[in-house]
Amino acid sequence: MADHNDPNAVNSIFSDIDHSPADLYDLFGFPSDDHSNGESVVIALTFASVPEAGVLDSDMLYRIQIAAHPRAVKPTDDHSLEALLKYLDAVKSKYLGELKTSEIRVTVDQNQSVTVRFFNFPGGSFASQIGTNTVEEIETPGGHSIKAFIGGRDDAFFNDLPGFFRSINYAPQFYHVPHTMTEARELPIPKTLLELDGNDLFNYNPANPNHGSGVKLDLPPGPWTWNGNKFKKDENGNYRFVYSGKDAQAGKNVNAIILEIPLAFITEAPAEDRIVNTWGESWVLKAAHKVESIPDDPFWLEHPFALIDAIRLDDELKKYKLVDTDGQAFADAALSEREDNRQLGANNFWLGPHFVKRLAHLGWGFGPSITALGLKCSFDHDNSPVSVHKTYSSVLAAFPRVKKTLFQTLNMPDNSWNPKGLNIPLRRTFEVFVPNVCAIDMDTTGTWPFGRRLEDQVATRFLSLFLDMEAEFNGKKYHVDLLNDQALWDAAPIVPKTPPNPLANDAPFSKEFPYLAKAW
Amino acid sequence: MLTAVATDFGRELERTEKDITDLRTSLSAIPQDVEKGTRLAYRLYHRACLTGILSDFGAAAAAVDDVAKRAGHQEDLCLLKANLYFKFHRLPDVKLALHQAPALLRRPEGKVLQADIDFQEGRYQEARAAYEQAIDEDRTWDNLARLAHFQFKMGQVAEADDLYVQAEDELTAKEMRSYAWVELQRGLLQLSRGRYEDALAHYRRAESGYSGYWLIDEHVAELLGAQGKYAEAAALYEHVVARVPKPELQQALGELYQLMEEPDKADKWHSQALETYLRSVDEGGVHYWHHLVDFFADVREDGAAAVAWARKDLTLRDNFATQAALAWALWRHDQFTEAAAFMDRSLASGVVDARLFQSAGTIYLSAGQVDKGERLLRQAREINPHLDRFHVHR
Repeated sequence: MADHNDPNAVNSIFSDIDHSPADLYDLFGFPSDDHSNGESVVIALTFASVPEAGVLDSDMLYRIQIAAHPRAVKPTDDHSLEALLKYLDAVKSKYLGELKTSEIRVTVDQNQSVTVRFFNFPGGSFASQIGTNTVEEIETPGGHSIKAFIGGRDDAFFNDLPGFFRSINYAPQFYHVPHTMTEARELPIPKTLLELDGNDLFNYNPANPNHGSGVKLDLPPGPWTWNGNKFKKDENGNYRFVYSGKDAQAGKNVNAIILEIPLAFITEAPAEDRIVNTWGESWVLKAAHKVESIPDDPFWLEHPFALIDAIRLDDELKKYKLVDTDGQAFADAALSEREDNRQLGANNFWLGPHFVKRLAHLGWGFGPSITALGLKCSFDHDNSPVSVHKTYSSVLAAFPRVKKTLFQTLNMPDNSWNPKGLNIPLRRTFEVFVPNVCAIDMDTTGTWPFGRRLEDQVATRFLSLFLDMEAEFNGKKYHVDLLNDQALWDAAPIVPKTPPNPLANDAPFSKEFPYLAKAW
Repeated sequence: MLTAVATDFGRELERTEKDITDLRTSLSAIPQDVEKGTRLAYRLYHRACLTGILSDFGAAAAAVDDVAKRAGHQEDLCLLKANLYFKFHRLPDVKLALHQAPALLRRPEGKVLQADIDFQEGRYQEARAAYEQAIDEDRTWDNLARLAHFQFKMGQVAEADDLYVQAEDELTAKEMRSYAWVELQRGLLQLSRGRYEDALAHYRRAESGYSGYWLIDEHVAELLGAQGKYAEAAALYEHVVARVPKPELQQALGELYQLMEEPDKADKWHSQALETYLRSVDEGGVHYWHHLVDFFADVREDGAAAVAWARKDLTLRDNFATQAALAWALWRHDQFTEAAAFMDRSLASGVVDARLFQSAGTIYLSAGQVDKGERLLRQAREINPHLDRFHVHR
């Protein structure tokens, strides 16, 4: 009698979580500075360099979706929960209904020949075959020219990731945490920008300086809580910053899909459709279809400009499984808590209420740290002298705390973001994160949150959401780059005296397409 | 030898061996690194799953013990231990491992393992309910395959195949070995109905998805034997046994040579199989007890020995399979009344299986329960008209 037919026979359980080519890292989007052929938008989707930088995985399909529309004329002044929910509903209707979405699909065959297919653009749908690791010009049926680079580059993200993980007490960065122990990831210790007195699990230990930056310890038995009541201070009265300002991504590579697309190809009304929304997805071929897989249909190669039947497109995606999405920086990492089932891409409307609760949770952590540094905070933490670990089950209870954080306009450091001096409203937090797209304003430089330029320090700008943008520092209104200002840290009672994250990438960006530096 | 061929299997094994070497190198510098030690234990387990070789499982178990000495009852180590023990039917040890990290029993991985224990210990409806709940909570391919296997055993062939198809739909191109394994299960499902061409189609599909896997060759060899293509079957078995010297495969090859009326070859392979079975028992293993039942009942036709092993196996896992095995051993030992009683218990499980019904029919006829015996033999033939052909004791 059989009893060996259980899946344990092959299922090796989760021994290793390997790097995956489906792991999307960043989506950059900004108006090109090159206007020689009219306006163009640059979109760069980066992902794990697996199998290696410059070599792409033939089981993957990468999808970049694009939707252009006019800029909203007048944002609402109603700062109520009802107004927020109404906004979420309106975005939902827009994305699920009226908005026309175009898309680009990228696949690569075993010989590293890349097929790039364009669907539902005003000029039609067509396909092109290009090579990897080289700048290519793709000619569209309507006579436009699209620049494309698909291959390995330096990772354009510059960030003190261990610092971020220290700020949220993310144990797997510091400790050996069994994969089963999902409750031992973000430990129930207040999130904070300043070290907590007695938080021995996460505070910097000079005797083990690399703890959390490559060195992991065994997770001690719980409870993993913190019972202190103040921030840690040294003998000079300085707080200890959880960030180091060091670039944890230095010297690392990614694979990337980088495109520079004429706006007139994306929309029939480039003069009106000034906002280009874009988001990326990774799909992996299902096993059953790998067995059936055949080389790319010769039809594509012989008739690259033929229109494509929409039903057939759906059939193609049915052969793949959606793994990851990327739109707005930090929407997933900070607000969706990196949960796989929250990888919804642009359609993250239902997460709106969750964002409110999560933002309130983060606010109770980061808010008191900001206040302790002598800065004004947008989050209402009742003047708590120290960070608090608090979670919410009710949006109604959380909303009053985060109301200002959500609705305040995010000041920019100067007017360089708006080179034409147009009447463009500043963005607000709730508009930035829902929908989960990179919303590129073609009348701006595309710096975050009007898109995302390569040189933007988005991790630090994300923290600025918790600053009270009505307050002033050195006679100037707070702005999204305030925490990048060395003068602020020089004046603050803190060590090390550094902005949280590095101010520039380890490898300089190029002024020429494809902009990202060469792979190491 | 297993790594020599450039196949999907060979490449996976090669990668695994490299990981093991790299981890051992790292650990030689920092032996107290629990994370790397745990990773090594998992990679060794992965290798053992690939090769199916007993000593590889032993190496994995030793690595687990080694890390556990330093790290204590970490959840991931306990989970690995539980899976290892489960493979070898050491159910009390599985339970102990799960209880050493009690939180595991609340995790999806622990819950399905508990459901597997329920199934092995004859609590069928509890197992089914747990599988269904696991799928509701965590729709993974392996949970779907578990329920499919349950339905297969209960005779719900269409439902089982549908669940296997759903399991395949959850698998990506990065999990082709698992896909091949599910295709083998779908093939076995057809084989159990005597639909050889359909079974072969699934086996071929498994090979297309994941080349070079000895487990596929082994299934194809069985199918060739069932089709009466003995020489081809024997050649393929010889090839598989040379790569993976598992005693149950040696026994199957011996039985094939018996059918081919080549007693010397049959005896050679049977002797090798028996030697390995008994060596495992001497070393404290219980994994081969049920193979020893089959061996003594059907190869040696030694009823007394078969009964002795079957009674031991029953103490380990009291389920339809061990009850039926004991019933068949008792029949071989001419103890028809007790054989019928154990077969009653086995059939009460609700399992629908042509070979089980064939054994039951034979036993009931011998025990004087003629109507019941004839009905079961008829049902067995209805399920699988080619029941008398070569088959493997899985």
